Amino acid sequence: MNDNLSKLDKALGMVKQRGLDGLIIYSNGVCSILRPSYLYYFSGLRPLGPNNAMVISKSGDVVLLVEPPWDSIRASRKSWVSDVRGSTDFVKDLIGIMRGFGMTVRVGVSALNIMTEEVYVPISQEAKIEPADDIIEEMARIKTKKEIENVRKTARIADIGFKTFLEYARVGIREYELSAEMEYAMRKAGADDNFTLLSSGKHNYAMHTPKDKRLEKGDIVLGEITPLCEGQFIQLCRTLVLGKPSPILIEKYDMLLESLGQALKPIKSGAPASLISKNMNKVISDAGYAEYCYPPYMRARGHGLGVGSIAPGGTIDDDCKEMLESQQVIIVHPNQYLPETGYLACGETIMVTDTGPERLAETETKLYIKEV
Amino acid sequence: METMRTTLRRGRNVWDRINMPESEFQERAERVKKEMKKENIDVLLIYGDAWREYGNLCYISNFYPGMGGSIALIPRQGEVALIFWGSARGLEYTQSITWIKELRPSAEDIASSCVKYLEKLGLFPSTIGLAGLKQLMPYLQLQSFYGALSGCKIVDADHIISNMRMVKSPRERDQIHRASRILTHTFDVANTPLEGMNELILEAALDREARLEGAEDVRILIAKPQEEKWAFRPVEDSQMSPGETIIIYLAVEFERYWSEIVRTFVVEPACLVPAGRENYNELYEKIMRMLKPGKPVSQFYKEAVSELEKSGTGYVPEYGLGQGIGQGTNELPIITEEDASELKEGMCLTLRLAMRDKEIGTLMIGNTIHISKDGPELLAK
Repeated sequence: MNDNLSKLDKALGMVKQRGLDGLIIYSNGVCSILRPSYLYYFSGLRPLGPNNAMVISKSGDVVLLVEPPWDSIRASRKSWVSDVRGSTDFVKDLIGIMRGFGMTVRVGVSALNIMTEEVYVPISQEAKIEPADDIIEEMARIKTKKEIENVRKTARIADIGFKTFLEYARVGIREYELSAEMEYAMRKAGADDNFTLLSSGKHNYAMHTPKDKRLEKGDIVLGEITPLCEGQFIQLCRTLVLGKPSPILIEKYDMLLESLGQALKPIKSGAPASLISKNMNKVISDAGYAEYCYPPYMRARGHGLGVGSIAPGGTIDDDCKEMLESQQVIIVHPNQYLPETGYLACGETIMVTDTGPERLAETETKLYIKEV
Repeated sequence: METMRTTLRRGRNVWDRINMPESEFQERAERVKKEMKKENIDVLLIYGDAWREYGNLCYISNFYPGMGGSIALIPRQGEVALIFWGSARGLEYTQSITWIKELRPSAEDIASSCVKYLEKLGLFPSTIGLAGLKQLMPYLQLQSFYGALSGCKIVDADHIISNMRMVKSPRERDQIHRASRILTHTFDVANTPLEGMNELILEAALDREARLEGAEDVRILIAKPQEEKWAFRPVEDSQMSPGETIIIYLAVEFERYWSEIVRTFVVEPACLVPAGRENYNELYEKIMRMLKPGKPVSQFYKEAVSELEKSGTGYVPEYGLGQGIGQGTNELPIITEEDASELKEGMCLTLRLAMRDKEIGTLMIGNTIHISKDGPELLAK
């Protein structure tokens, strides 16, 4: 059985097990780094318009409904679904399909949490809605061979992004020009999209989208390099100094590297995800920066990355309840604001295995120094 | 036109206070307050999110949310506030791109941050106008927001901002002009030798050129009208063969303002050459000249379709004729038979015409146009 039929088979099994009339997998066309893209995962299509849905009846009929209607030609080529329909009136068409499939009593919906009123209310008047994210999450726990290939391909693209960052980050270039060159290199290498944040200065507060600022001698340049390929993000958080770094910067970056090392140590399937954060925070707290480890200064110490699931979740912190599982792709980042140095970027994407973390990118995590 | 939403708008993100001074925003806020008074609204909440629609939010604040949703809060009396998705560390950056002084980061639940601030202002309960919340905020979050606002009178106030956005100020028009200049320059890349003649490489080159010119966001779609079933689509890892016709849709955002252009090319061995058809250019010009202040949009639509049919090229309806453009690529008015508005001096519109051609399949021309008192003015040339 191929991957797609296997997914459909698993989904139908869970639909039947729960006594549902069918399943709706919804997408608002957004591919976010902090959310899984269930429709993309299940259908193979990265949706374009504001409303899209895959409707699966309990007897196994499947329709892929897309906006705008002209995107149905692309959707037919990209997806394994044979019944692809373009829509000019999404809600009306979706309800028509639900009625045709006899989905009138209880319906599972994936990505319910992004549905707006204009879609949610009419379909909830047709049938009782039950959240069904877990149906996709469950099947996405085991990655297919193709997904693993995509993870590795995206990691290679991230390496190319970093190489370009290192090459072009020089005195005089503007932040947005540096970002444009990184984007160009990663797109040529096959990135579909990018989540790139930067910052430069003697004392940074956070990473952000690029500004006009020209890089100067002595600047600390931060890069969060995150290509997207086939729905998979890979992130590298790196820090580069233009010129000789101050002793305190070297000292503090070493502390972050130690923190990263300690955070990576417990990673293997079955370990609590919270240990990543606790180990990381311990090193930083022991160095005297406990208050900077928590909100409002920090949000998360890492998060999952993936198409069908971002398990162990969009936030890895001390309170994270999830256990790590094999094949999860996670960014672990002790990115940290320190009063002496400002914000520093340090982070690595790894894959969880039964024996430990597997680094996905090739570029070393260290304080990069460029002579000027 | 619909395009693939980017995961992050990651180009040059600045507030140029000469191009768009604080007084422009204050004037907008005052106009909004006058409308609020007419409709007895005590406070207006304008919601925008990072991916779908941030135009209303941006119009008032110049801020756009990098991730998540954000709310501009306009009390009828008092200072405009911005509740933005992010942490306190983001304050410095946010201050650099908005004129609003009252800035409140909200890392998780924007609705409860908003209610707390309303309470602080003594505007709870009150009559609250909502713009964009019903359309954009996820329903489950909206429900809890409504719950938190129980006791307040909620009224729909989308029209206040969307009506104001339809007619551009001279400064807004200048910004669209600047975005248009980037478009014109970017298309020069298509005429230069292209490595590999691959769609991905073409997109990467166009994207780079636009971003180096200061584009904040870039959207590219491609179509091959000689294919049996064709439509606009994002680029793929696919070769471009000599002799093929390629239509490129390119939209660029510069300092919060968009412009779009559509051009048709024929693939040569090492570059793309504009598919020159003088008669189509003349037809486009003729239809564009019909855009006149005072004319109902629906009348322009009928005249344009009639002209296309009379010319023998026919009307290709899939992508529409165009719409308003500014802080979004899909603003009002929309050029359709049903649109009830009238063309006004100061509007900026896109006009896209697809014309069937026996030799090259379909030829498409699209431009961004400003309606001046003397008639239409091409912004993207």
